[in-house]
Amino acid sequence: MVDDIKILVVDDERVVIRSVEMVLKAEGYNIEGASSGKDAILKIEQHDYNLVLTDLNMPEMDGITLIRWLRQKKPEVGIVILTGYPSQETIKEALELGIIDYVPKPFTPAVLVDVTQRAVDWLRKQVSAEEEPKKEEFPPSMIEEIDRVIKQYRSRPGSSIPVLQRCQQIVGYLPPEVQKRVAKGLNLSPAEIHSIVSFYSFFTMKPRGDHNIRVCLGTACYVKRVEETLNKIKADLKIDVGDVTEDKKFSIEVVRCLGACGLAPVIVIDEETYGAMTPKKVTKILEEYA
Amino acid sequence: MEKYLANLLMCAGTGCVATGTPKVVAALKAELEKHGLSDEIKVVLTGCNGFCAEGPVMLVYPEEIFYQKLTVEEIPKLVEEHFLKGRPYEKLMFKDIEKKHAIPVMNDIPFFKYQVLRVLRNKGMIDPESLEEYIARDGYMAAAQAVNEMTPEDIIKVMKDSGLRGRGGAGFPTGLKWEFASKSQADQKYMLCNGDEGDPGAFMDRSVMEADPHSVIEGMIIGARAIGASKGVIYVRAEYPLAVERLQMAIDICLESGLLGENILGSDFSFDLEIYLGAGAFVCGEETALMRSIEGQRGMPRPRPPFPAHKGLWDKPSVLNNVESLAQVAPIILNGAEWYRTLGTEKSPGSKVFALTGDIRNVGLVEVPMGIPLKTIIYDIGGGIAKKKKKFKAVQLGGPSGGCIPEELINIPVTYEDITRTGAIVGSGGMVVMDEDTCMVSTSKFFLEFTADESCGKCTPCRVGTRVMLDMLTDITEGRGREGDIETLQDLSKDIIATSLCGLGQTAPNPVLTTIRYFRHEYESHIRDHWCQAGICSDLCSFHILDDKCKGCGLCLRGCPSNAVVGEKKKPHRIIQELCLQCRSCYDACKFGAIEIKPSLKKEPEPALKDEGVTQ
Repeated sequence: MVDDIKILVVDDERVVIRSVEMVLKAEGYNIEGASSGKDAILKIEQHDYNLVLTDLNMPEMDGITLIRWLRQKKPEVGIVILTGYPSQETIKEALELGIIDYVPKPFTPAVLVDVTQRAVDWLRKQVSAEEEPKKEEFPPSMIEEIDRVIKQYRSRPGSSIPVLQRCQQIVGYLPPEVQKRVAKGLNLSPAEIHSIVSFYSFFTMKPRGDHNIRVCLGTACYVKRVEETLNKIKADLKIDVGDVTEDKKFSIEVVRCLGACGLAPVIVIDEETYGAMTPKKVTKILEEYA
Repeated sequence: MEKYLANLLMCAGTGCVATGTPKVVAALKAELEKHGLSDEIKVVLTGCNGFCAEGPVMLVYPEEIFYQKLTVEEIPKLVEEHFLKGRPYEKLMFKDIEKKHAIPVMNDIPFFKYQVLRVLRNKGMIDPESLEEYIARDGYMAAAQAVNEMTPEDIIKVMKDSGLRGRGGAGFPTGLKWEFASKSQADQKYMLCNGDEGDPGAFMDRSVMEADPHSVIEGMIIGARAIGASKGVIYVRAEYPLAVERLQMAIDICLESGLLGENILGSDFSFDLEIYLGAGAFVCGEETALMRSIEGQRGMPRPRPPFPAHKGLWDKPSVLNNVESLAQVAPIILNGAEWYRTLGTEKSPGSKVFALTGDIRNVGLVEVPMGIPLKTIIYDIGGGIAKKKKKFKAVQLGGPSGGCIPEELINIPVTYEDITRTGAIVGSGGMVVMDEDTCMVSTSKFFLEFTADESCGKCTPCRVGTRVMLDMLTDITEGRGREGDIETLQDLSKDIIATSLCGLGQTAPNPVLTTIRYFRHEYESHIRDHWCQAGICSDLCSFHILDDKCKGCGLCLRGCPSNAVVGEKKKPHRIIQELCLQCRSCYDACKFGAIEIKPSLKKEPEPALKDEGVTQ
């Protein structure tokens, strides 16, 4: 049943690795150990693991750094943390990085088996969910905020656009789940909400990068050959308009006119306006944000 | 109010902020503090001054001395010279074209000299966030008159007599619009403001909302009084955050001061005003589409009649006016229709704001009397073409709904009628100047890309027609144009114009039609000779170095990304055509005009990529 699951346990104390190995092997899991963050990375790069159980407090590379690396390089690997001092702060940070669960040390075999089983079930569910349309989940705080906005506007006629604008501010974009929630809240059909989202260029159904670059394609910018700058940005970041870089740092959008024609060609990164752009200048500016 | 020795009016419009106003202001304040002048000299942040090309700019009051291109490094010297020694600092003044002498006083600078400021009466003069400063310049006097002394009929009569025509693009008389709505009977009416400035290349509404938000609100109060509306909405693009912030601030102050809300200025008239953020759709500039959008739906136009004056927002009588039109209302009420008609022509009275951009020396916002020759705007105010050796080619008016006016028509007066006769439109006032390095086929393709993208999809001729035209233009610019394409483009244009419901479709072919009308030879040379003479369409040109003009300076050689330029120093260089990517960088780099653009050397153009989803 579970022998297709490969687990890596990372801890600087050998005794922990050995005891985890003993408990989980008995349950039928494939399990290996690594004694440091570095050791873990070497192993993960060579083999495919489904789940990583890691300590947080280790010399050299700590657990959070390892988790960060995993989220970036191997986002499909599930993570459970084993920790002796689950302070609110570190747990919160780890949760934000997308761990599945945590096991407080010292732990009993029953707790370890239980948490591992739950994590494996969750991973399996994720895999099958990926075959269906991908389902995103949002932290409860975000959902609460969305509901609050809906409630605030619900009684006003014609509130769908302001509500969607606020929701986009909260989530950063408008995936199907958010649209459905808004539709339900405003007592409209999801199709109606989707028709609005797809109509207005302000709304996006794709997440944006940490830094959103908006390139103006207005007439003045066109006459001043903004295309050369746009092409340079695309080449530098290796993405197309509307996409996000792999590290989620940058996204590119084009807009019709930013109304700053006096500065043409113009780009806006986040809220900052840059005028008189040239391919050379733009590379320098991108470096500042990298 | 406290008295100051001098007021420094520092432009805090979008353009100047991007070029450094915040840093300069900090440096300026610190420097004044250092010399103990903080109590004598006041730094005021104003809205857009209009002369964006020279930003950051500052006006010193009361002498009206204009400083430009301020930098943090120059501030100490400026303060020392002007405020300690009392002699204005010439280095930062505007220099006339020959760069021979400086022009210290703002109104002597040609850019300002020919302008008359009515819409922009407060630009760069007041702190847009201060109600007191707006009132100090006769603000809300007209509104007080309108609600306390005038009947709706009086207001409408003045507006009709003034002949003010809607500044959003179509030029419909504002007074008439108000009269229709005022005669409709309903329990609720709406006064709406269109701040959804969508035309690429136009930013006058943005400037008015940022520099003088109260003038828009005052116009709306007067309009609401005239038509009997108790509710108003300002529809603003979400892309204009500063405008939204300033308008909201202004509305809040007005509510506190009794200028909005119940019983305005002690009268029995009440008016509530709110802001609605647009979500970015060009078609929402159309009035019925905008109203649909406020109702929370897709902003698609509907057939008229019924006109909004009878059935508008929420099916109630509504009036929608453009920002610039509304900003003119207060002075008209205050000074009378006759005063308004002292400027402009019989059919196009008053003044109009234009956004002057593109390949022009003095980029910025200008307000001129209607009827002024186009040439005066471009050469006297605009200072002519930015690059010294380049020639003027065309000026594009009216954005994607407008057209290109060539050099031979540059003497025409700027009125609604004369501009329409050229095939262009006054539109919202975007004026984009293009020099000889512009390819007119690519330019019309650029505009069609825009309209094809922004077509809401309701009418087939607009949705499909613009796409078909765009594909044909793409073919022409990539060397697959055929004989007869020009005629087909003209035919398609006629059909789209005749059969589209709203202004977007009815005007979308204008850029193509005007460029064919005035620059037909460029289309022909693209199609027949595979030659883009401006060197913009990279498939349709080749670059060659003229031996007799080349000085062998090596600028082109260093700029070439594909190492296609070869040659020894001080001897004529040569371009290896097999390596050349037609990127134009040699052409732009050469200071001696030694690069010549000839037809493409490719024998056969590359076949078009077959569109897989033709039927989708």
